[in-house]
Amino acid sequence: MARSSTSKDAQDLFHSLRSAYLATPKNLKIIDLYVCFAVITALIQVAYMALVGSFPFNSFLSGVLSCIGTAVLAVCLRIQVNKENKEFKDLAPERAFADFVLCNLVLHLVIINFLG
Amino acid sequence: MMNLSRSVALISLFLLPLLSFSFSVDNPTDRRVLVLLDDLSLKSSHSIFFNTLKSRGFDLDFKLADDSKLALQRYGQYLYDGLIIFAPSTERLGGSLDSKSIADFVDSGRDLILSADTSASDLIRGIATECGVDFDEDSTAMVIDHTSFSVSDVDGDHTLIAADDLVKSDVILGKTKIEAPVLFRGVAHSLNPTNNLVLKVLSASPSAYSANPSSKLSSPPQLTGSAISLVSVMQARNNARVVISGSLQLFSDRLIRSGVQKAGSPNQYEKSGNEQFVTELSKWVFHERGHLKAGSLVHHRVGETDEPAIYRIKDDLEFSVEIYEWSGKSWEPYVANDVQVQFYMMSPYVLKTLSTDKKGLFHTSFKVPDVYGVFQFKVEYEKLGYSTLSLSKQIPVRPYRHNEYERFIPTAYPYYGACFTTMAGFFVFSFVYLYHK
Repeated sequence: MARSSTSKDAQDLFHSLRSAYLATPKNLKIIDLYVCFAVITALIQVAYMALVGSFPFNSFLSGVLSCIGTAVLAVCLRIQVNKENKEFKDLAPERAFADFVLCNLVLHLVIINFLG
Repeated sequence: MMNLSRSVALISLFLLPLLSFSFSVDNPTDRRVLVLLDDLSLKSSHSIFFNTLKSRGFDLDFKLADDSKLALQRYGQYLYDGLIIFAPSTERLGGSLDSKSIADFVDSGRDLILSADTSASDLIRGIATECGVDFDEDSTAMVIDHTSFSVSDVDGDHTLIAADDLVKSDVILGKTKIEAPVLFRGVAHSLNPTNNLVLKVLSASPSAYSANPSSKLSSPPQLTGSAISLVSVMQARNNARVVISGSLQLFSDRLIRSGVQKAGSPNQYEKSGNEQFVTELSKWVFHERGHLKAGSLVHHRVGETDEPAIYRIKDDLEFSVEIYEWSGKSWEPYVANDVQVQFYMMSPYVLKTLSTDKKGLFHTSFKVPDVYGVFQFKVEYEKLGYSTLSLSKQIPVRPYRHNEYERFIPTAYPYYGACFTTMAGFFVFSFVYLYHK
């Protein structure tokens, strides 16, 4: 009895999450996709380092940091652009996007320098 | 002024003949040898040995051991290159000689032949102990061997031993094998076990022991068997050579001329091995054989000829050294396959055996190890009977300069790829985000 209720609960949870997510605006979904791509790239690099060893450690850090950095900046963009977020109601989405682009430029400049 | 220059000229004129008659770096065989005897009749009773020395060009100076005018040095220069002490019963040496001056003589690189016999005095024992050889404390003891004695032993107490346990060294005893046993009659000595410079040349057989032949044994003898050495040599760290013999009769004409047959063995030899033994041993001790000289160590990078002031890690380098052996008259190229070079910093990082071109040049090449610091090329060659070679040359080794690393590290290609992919992704994302419908 309890098991079937927990599995039914899990299924219900999953369905409600999925339907709620499908209702989000398209631009937020694009941002989410970008974040997933960045994090997957970072995970691939960590797996590679675990296999081969950390020999050019600076290169490893640079690679991982570029992925994680850009993911973090994308998350910040999402927070600022999300209309349901009361805190950033007065912030223009263009301003948020401009910040995002500028920060990414600085990030990638630093990354290329640290890559060796 | 005039007096000073005149006296200097006189003294240098006087010293010049002394200076030209001694061994030198280019000609290491000894020339002038002082022979100390306790009885001048030894000159005739050991004439064969002395004549072989004279015929090889040695300048022998016979003196009585207690001659009051004896001197090894004059004006700070040594007068002799070699010393033969055939004076086993002398208590005190004459002139300015004593055991300390003889020790200094050997310390200066000069050679010594010392022979004891029955009734060896404390002086002779003292000199021998300085060289790492301990004679039997019992002054009446002789070496007795009831299975290895010579059949021609007249006294019948088995003190005339026919010994054939020789050290296996072509350098010390010559290339020709000594077929006949060596006749020996004298005292036993043992080597100090902590001394690693002494070597037994003629050992007693396992059945020998050291005791008084004319009295009954009251307790087991201290020195027995192969621990007894009959003739030993010592090569000091400065390559001075010392021969210590327990028998003066070993060198005598009587034993040299005598035939020998070992008890229990059917072989009868017309002539004992004594003459060949003492001749070859005297050639070795007076540096006619087994004396090595090395040129400087040469090293350079592969493909270059100049010696660099500093190497980098993982450089390829070539190393060579020239070694010559003195043949008694000239320097011949040394041929051996066991000379090694170490690349040493606190411990050898590289140890390689040098290959020879049979003309005296020993060479090898190796890769500098992946460690930086100040290294030394070291050649430490200590072969039995040869003079020791101890050469070293210091050379620093540096790590890579910052622009000597490879530009793109192959193992880091995934990281390079990831960074550029992220940048491309960001670019594409910004377009899509701005212009999506």
